[in-house]
Amino acid sequence: MKFDHVTKIYKETKAVDDVSFDICKGELFVLLGSSGSGKTTTLRLINRLIDPDEGTIYLNGNDTKDMNPVELRRRMGYVIQQIGLFPHMTVKENIGIIPKLERWKEEDISKRTNELLNLVALPPDYFRSRYPHQLSGGQQQRVGLARALAMDPPLLLMDEPFGALDPLLRMQLQNEFLSIKRKLEKTIVFVTHDIEEAFTLADRIGVMHNGKILQIGTPSELLFNPVNEIVSKIIGSENKFKAIKFLQAKDVMIPMDKKYLIQENMTCQEAVNIMISNKIELSIVKESNGDIKQIILSDLLKNEDMRRSINDFGRKLVIVPPDENLSSIITLLKSSNEKLVIVMNQNEIQGLVMIDSVLINLV
Amino acid sequence: MLDTIISVWATQQLTLRTIQHLSMFFIALSISIILAIIAALLVYSNPRVANIWFNILNVIETIPELALFIFLLPILGLGEPPTIAACVLYSILPIMRNTYTGLANVSNEYIEIAKAIGLTKNEILFKIRLPMALPLISGGIRVAVVYTMGIITLGGLIAAGGLGVPLQAGIHQYNIPAIIIASLWVGTLGVVFDAVAWIIENKLARRYNPW
Repeated sequence: MKFDHVTKIYKETKAVDDVSFDICKGELFVLLGSSGSGKTTTLRLINRLIDPDEGTIYLNGNDTKDMNPVELRRRMGYVIQQIGLFPHMTVKENIGIIPKLERWKEEDISKRTNELLNLVALPPDYFRSRYPHQLSGGQQQRVGLARALAMDPPLLLMDEPFGALDPLLRMQLQNEFLSIKRKLEKTIVFVTHDIEEAFTLADRIGVMHNGKILQIGTPSELLFNPVNEIVSKIIGSENKFKAIKFLQAKDVMIPMDKKYLIQENMTCQEAVNIMISNKIELSIVKESNGDIKQIILSDLLKNEDMRRSINDFGRKLVIVPPDENLSSIITLLKSSNEKLVIVMNQNEIQGLVMIDSVLINLV
Repeated sequence: MLDTIISVWATQQLTLRTIQHLSMFFIALSISIILAIIAALLVYSNPRVANIWFNILNVIETIPELALFIFLLPILGLGEPPTIAACVLYSILPIMRNTYTGLANVSNEYIEIAKAIGLTKNEILFKIRLPMALPLISGGIRVAVVYTMGIITLGGLIAAGGLGVPLQAGIHQYNIPAIIIASLWVGTLGVVFDAVAWIIENKLARRYNPW
């Protein structure tokens, strides 16, 4: 999807001001900004709830202006903060409303509804025939998501879907949503004002302010290279840098889980079996000479002879003491182009620091 | 006491009168509901004429029932047709006004999301607005039930049959037991139908507008 110099004017103020960006297939793109920044307007331009005054929006290379808005909207899921489940319809009727209008067979609608309810962790037998007012806020939002997914749309638009939930529930739903997202591989445009939410979910973030997109980038790009004062203020980069200065490896590490440790001298075949059954991509081997190496699953799989010893595939690792300063760890990672360090106290592995999860913890 | 009731019931043919009364009631009410809802849907999709319509109906509403009968007599003659016509003319306004209000006042949140997930304008009207307006529509019908009961009773004056007849006869013959029994019976019917309509309205409200 592509926005090409799009402007939307409301009563002489530019709600969306000359906005251009691309969204890649399969990515979760977050529009982040305070209220009035134009992020919701941008979202509503995508499914033509409003039309731009200037500029063009392309979907798979076609101008959305040339498409029938109703058909366009049926190919996009839409979830909003107020949820908007229809109170006079059961959960099943709410989810099946568009399939029914598309004249699906009743049995297909039932099958799809059950599938989707299972996906959003609501047992279908228990929830199918309930009315929205009989559900809790979190359950309603799950049904809202299921409804948006009913037609299996390639694109999902979400406007602060977790905004009205209490913080604990919000965190839980965000995590569930992330795992659903991984299963479905959909392109998602997600609007929020909550930086933490943006950093937890986003592949890339577009920071909006006064109708303009100030910067687009991955969470770490925004955190470490904000283009200007406003972005760094919105992201809160300054405070985060302060945090990096006094955090140490032991503050941010993930305690070592035994399943990541693997014996040396194993054959590739044995190691692959263990790693797959433990659902890990990477394991750590401590060699008899005291060296710590990492073994990467894909390296083993690419190798032709599965009888070879894994010792041949060990890669060097960055090792730091527990009191190592976080900012120097980041510098170290940057220079070695790694994403992982091992925290060691004398000869004991204590934990891992993964740069991605550190960044999430910082915000 | 019981003897009096039984004798009045027999001499005034109250069983027959009740059947006449109720058949006119259901015919009039059905016509009113159908016409009023269709009219409301038409007016809703063309809101510029809404005010004109409601003003005309308001004027009709202010004409006393008896005067309306007299207007209708040259066109429809005596008996059931002018009575039913009068019932319909009075009942359309409350049902139509409530239907219109119900359609128009569905919370914007639902309309927005319906539009956003790809419902057409007509689908929104029939799948979202109309069902969500049902509690208000039934409220309008309840008002119409009371109107219709009253006007049909008055129809006894213009040879429409029904329970107005024993009342008229009682008044002319100064037959106090007939007056009391017939009016209590009409009153009871009115209260019962109103209660039924009230129960339906409440059920719909809980079903279609639980928040």
